Amino acid sequence: MPLLTFILFAPAAVGLANLLLPRGRLMASLSVLTFGATLVLSIMLLEQVLRFGVITEWDGFLYADALSALMVLLISAVSLGSSLYAGRYFQRDLDDKAITPGRVREFFVLTPLFVAGMFLVVLANNLGVMWAAVEATALSSVLLVALYNRPTSLEAAWKYIMLGSLGLALALLGTVFVYAAACKSNPQPLPSFNWSHLMTVAHLFDPKLIQIAFVFALLGYGTKAGLAPMHTWLPDAHSEAPSPTSAMLSGVSLKIALYALLRFHILTTACLGSGFSRHLLLGFGLFSMLLAAPFILVQRNLKRMLAYSSLEHVGLICTGIALNTPVTIFGALLHMGYHALTKPVLFFAAGNIHQTCHTLELRLIGPGLVKVVPATVLLMALAGMAAIGLPPFGLFFSELTVISGGIAAGQIAVSVLVLAALILSFCGLLQQFTRILLGTPKQERKDPGTRFDGVPAMAFMLGTLLLFSIWLPESLRKIMHQAAGIIGGTR
Amino acid sequence: MQTVTPAQIGSQLVTLMAALMLVVQLLLVVQRMLLASIRLFAIRSFFLAGIAGVIAFFHNATHVYLVAVLTLIGKVVFLPWLLNRQVRRIRITQEIEPMLNAPMAMLLCGSFTLLGYVVARPFTSLERLGNNTLAIAITLVLTGFFLMFNRRKAITQVLALLTVENGVMLAAVALTTYGMPLVVELGIFFDVMVAVMILGILVYRIRESFDSMDTSKLSQLKG
Repeated sequence: MPLLTFILFAPAAVGLANLLLPRGRLMASLSVLTFGATLVLSIMLLEQVLRFGVITEWDGFLYADALSALMVLLISAVSLGSSLYAGRYFQRDLDDKAITPGRVREFFVLTPLFVAGMFLVVLANNLGVMWAAVEATALSSVLLVALYNRPTSLEAAWKYIMLGSLGLALALLGTVFVYAAACKSNPQPLPSFNWSHLMTVAHLFDPKLIQIAFVFALLGYGTKAGLAPMHTWLPDAHSEAPSPTSAMLSGVSLKIALYALLRFHILTTACLGSGFSRHLLLGFGLFSMLLAAPFILVQRNLKRMLAYSSLEHVGLICTGIALNTPVTIFGALLHMGYHALTKPVLFFAAGNIHQTCHTLELRLIGPGLVKVVPATVLLMALAGMAAIGLPPFGLFFSELTVISGGIAAGQIAVSVLVLAALILSFCGLLQQFTRILLGTPKQERKDPGTRFDGVPAMAFMLGTLLLFSIWLPESLRKIMHQAAGIIGGTR
Repeated sequence: MQTVTPAQIGSQLVTLMAALMLVVQLLLVVQRMLLASIRLFAIRSFFLAGIAGVIAFFHNATHVYLVAVLTLIGKVVFLPWLLNRQVRRIRITQEIEPMLNAPMAMLLCGSFTLLGYVVARPFTSLERLGNNTLAIAITLVLTGFFLMFNRRKAITQVLALLTVENGVMLAAVALTTYGMPLVVELGIFFDVMVAVMILGILVYRIRESFDSMDTSKLSQLKG
């Protein structure tokens, strides 16, 4: 069965089908069904990759190794959660007249296309096609950021597309440099630009070209991944987008850009055989973590605070990979997965709070939210505990894995910096959450929605997180070790 | 008389057109009228298409012809038409108000050109056709970045983005034999078209809610 083809085309087809469907309810259910199906398909893909190592389709145009399979799984899971949440969320927005039916359709058309773009990023064999797919994800999500058409959301969308496109132009330049290296090492007029081919000849490439290519790719894909100091679009876009989109942007879109960057990192390391790309990644990762922590502490807007927390987590993933021991890379991949399951829950809860309080300003929301929307607050508190890295949730283990791996590798200074940034943001998030969730409400608020709005989606994500925190299935562990091997260059 | 091989003629043509791209770019930097800027962009894209055409002709590469035709249709005809229509539809004032005045901008772009040559120096041995094309490509990218920050009107920022993209495509031609593989060229082409259309939608919406196209008014989100 052509698994990769199905995974790629199912969401794209649904996006187009949603253009024709009459009602929002139908579009939402169709999306849920599709992403449920792609989740099943991605689990099948996982099994296949475990059995055969690498899967290709269309004459090698589509390519899936352990790293791709892992990313496909993440995209499917987060998309399913997000589409589960989106139906009720937009129904309530429509009831409040906060949005027009046309815009809801826009959401249900663009989101599957956005997902299809992300699938293409991780399944494309050709590095140039991968670039085009990353650009496609940026283009399909920018109108989602501007969905509410408020002046602030237009501003956020403008910054997002401008910075994103400038960054991606640099990434394209990096891609061109890699292709130039491939041309130079190969007398044929049109050498293959496929990943599977590049890796076999990487040692022949001109080191200088590859170095400059990696710098451009780092600046370019790093912008899209939200690495500091190119992160300035991130809090704007994540706070102004509708909550289901914020969840997608933060949960997977950042990691997709990071995936693209990782491919360049693997190639650069294979060519140079040195720590050139690793040191750069380490610098950007640590800087992102250290920058995010104080911004979380002083943040006045709930979703902006969550966005800065994403910045910190992306920094940690980068740092873990840059430390480059099997343990830390495994920890970073684990962290990637756990964060993808945690952050959407927080954004869903923030969406509920926004619809109840009609503001995201922390000062105006709290305190005493627990009396107004108890179910949302309970789930948000649990996800908050996960996000700040408390057991029994997985982020605690993955953070510990990265730090202990760092110490074991003799990188004491880095580990201490990581620990300091984690503790700072721990304090920040804890203080902000307790401020709004607990206590007695100052003003009378009635909850116009039903009490259990969005609870199924949040419970699904949180339940999965808890399950995989306690029990990581053998196949998943194996695939992560393989992916870590690919990144570390041992396979 | 010295005989000139076809390859040399091709190489000189490429060099000539790349140089013309640089000249047009410098004109664009000091141009104050919006519609004229769009026309300059069309002319610069025309030279890019010309370079692709020359390479296709002298190397008998069919797929590069396709790239040349796509550039001609997309960036010389369609995008300028789209941007023109946008400008007329929202009836914006013609004049661009740059942050830096023209002599300053020119001076800066002169130094960008120098920088471009310095950066491209280690890689000149890689250029297959023409001389200095990589240096010009890097200059285009740098001045594109400069235009982005120097001009506050949303449409001129779109033009800046297209400048950067032109520069990258020129680099692709300069560094590789026949540019990128066809599937990649097609992907990039459609991305650029869709990007400009989406930017058009955004510009229109910004104009509707801010009653202005000045992106320096987009400054409510901080921290």
